[in-house]
Amino acid sequence: MGFRDVMHEKYKEILESYMEDQNEQALYLSQKFSRKSIEYKISPEEIISIHKTALMELEAERSDSVMPSFDILLEVMMGYGLAYREHQSLRTIQQELKSEIEVAANMQQTLLGTQIPDVDCLDIGAISVPARQMSGDYYHFVQDEQGAVSVAIADIIGKGIPAALCMSMIKYSMDSLPEGRHEPYQVLESLNRVVEQNVDPTMFITMFYGMYNTINHTFYYSSAGHEPGFFYNHETKEFEELYAKGLLLGVDKKTKYRQFEKRVDVGDVILLMSDGVTECRTEEGFIEVDTLIGYIEKYIHLEAQEIANKVYKELEYLQDFQLRDDFTLIILKRIK
Amino acid sequence: MNITIDVKEMEQYTKVKIVGEIDAYTAPKLRETIFPYAEKKNTKIVIDLSEVSYMDSTGLGVFVGLFKSLNANEGTLQLTGLSERLRRLFDITGLADIMNINSEVEGGV
Amino acid sequence: MDSCVKIINEWDIVAARQLGRNVAKDLGFGTVDQARITTAISELARNIYLYAGQGQVCIEKTEAVGKTGLIIISEDQGPGINDLRKVMEDGFSTSGGLGAGLPGVKRLVDEFTIESNPGEGTLIKAIKWLR
Repeated sequence: MGFRDVMHEKYKEILESYMEDQNEQALYLSQKFSRKSIEYKISPEEIISIHKTALMELEAERSDSVMPSFDILLEVMMGYGLAYREHQSLRTIQQELKSEIEVAANMQQTLLGTQIPDVDCLDIGAISVPARQMSGDYYHFVQDEQGAVSVAIADIIGKGIPAALCMSMIKYSMDSLPEGRHEPYQVLESLNRVVEQNVDPTMFITMFYGMYNTINHTFYYSSAGHEPGFFYNHETKEFEELYAKGLLLGVDKKTKYRQFEKRVDVGDVILLMSDGVTECRTEEGFIEVDTLIGYIEKYIHLEAQEIANKVYKELEYLQDFQLRDDFTLIILKRIK
Repeated sequence: MNITIDVKEMEQYTKVKIVGEIDAYTAPKLRETIFPYAEKKNTKIVIDLSEVSYMDSTGLGVFVGLFKSLNANEGTLQLTGLSERLRRLFDITGLADIMNINSEVEGGV
Repeated sequence: MDSCVKIINEWDIVAARQLGRNVAKDLGFGTVDQARITTAISELARNIYLYAGQGQVCIEKTEAVGKTGLIIISEDQGPGINDLRKVMEDGFSTSGGLGAGLPGVKRLVDEFTIESNPGEGTLIKAIKWLR
């Protein structure tokens, strides 16, 4: 006899006994039955069906004996009622947690907020969209008195709240760098020391740090394991990778970073991104670099912010609006 | 998204074969399975990644953690069979320079 | 009528339920509330039987300004509860088929108080008001 049949027989016994003399003991057995059925995931409608079958087998369609049968049914369903209320209350708790995370996400936005610098020669655009509520991507602009524009783009390995907490630390160590101009390699070396000391050994950060000198129109950059950016040459209409290799932040405190430079002419575009852009996955697999460049090329004549928005829309569409990773794209376009 | 991790303790090294995808969902399982071996003294771990179709940054984090843990315990880590995509990931992050990647295993595998 | 039932074996739980049902019926509680009250009594008596070994459950009529109700007092000198907060947490007891647990009892009634000291026992008072 299967488990269902055993339950069915047991129910019939209880019911028969209760219909005989409406005893409290049968009701207690019903309560125990209820507990068992919840434990074995018997659904409420199955209970009703068990009840009906039992009634039919007991040939008790006559109304006077049918009435007490509902006491049994009520007792059995009581457990389900309690389980349902508990579910409701857990849902409330879940809602509360969700709204707390929303508050935290807003706080993150405020804490990490950065202003896009306003310089005559550059048109700058940026978009950053978290895959979940809190982003593990981070970008930051700094403009110094001599007119250089610095940009940092970082990806914290790991997502959600732990990554967000880690990011606040990065932000504050960047803010507390001593005054004055910093070469990209110096910034990475000093952040690397902070991360190496303070972060959980399985948590790592990739960062690309670039500085645009508005006087000689040269872009200086260093990378700590970050996804390479792209450079668009307006004259040749060609894209090239902004190649820069360097170890992730936080692996080895003695790491030295190499600095690269690139001359930027009017119309040239620098594109920096997180791996959510290049690791964009679709049903058919990863998008190829050429596909990505194709999208960028399609919109390269637009204003920087427009390029960023349009490329994001295309990739969002490609992924069926389900981001697997945080997405950040920064565009610097020399306009004069 | 599934992963199978096969660990064999051989005479000279611990051989690990991973099949599947290494991402935020499977990384914890990978970490739990391999880390205990890395905490022993003088261990040599060889990981075959030839059947890993995808790895994201969380997966990379597991390998960096493993590398650091082995280094602290005088052990070594060797990764083999990386696809071009995986190889690129280790290149960009600078890990290819400090880790032993895609070289021949002594005595052959 | 004796308003307390000593809980020593499982069938005393049935006696406690019967007492509760009678009192509830006399006070004029409807069928569904009767079932809620007996379920609460059942849970409390079962806790005594399972965890304290023995104790008693008393059921009485209670009155407050403008309302009448039924009070269940469950008392034992068992091991007591170490972490009250935990046992009052949802999801702690239900999942394993342990029943509604104390949060369930609390939901079934209108007022619920619990006092427990490890090594000394537990005292629970639960009131259901007549609507």
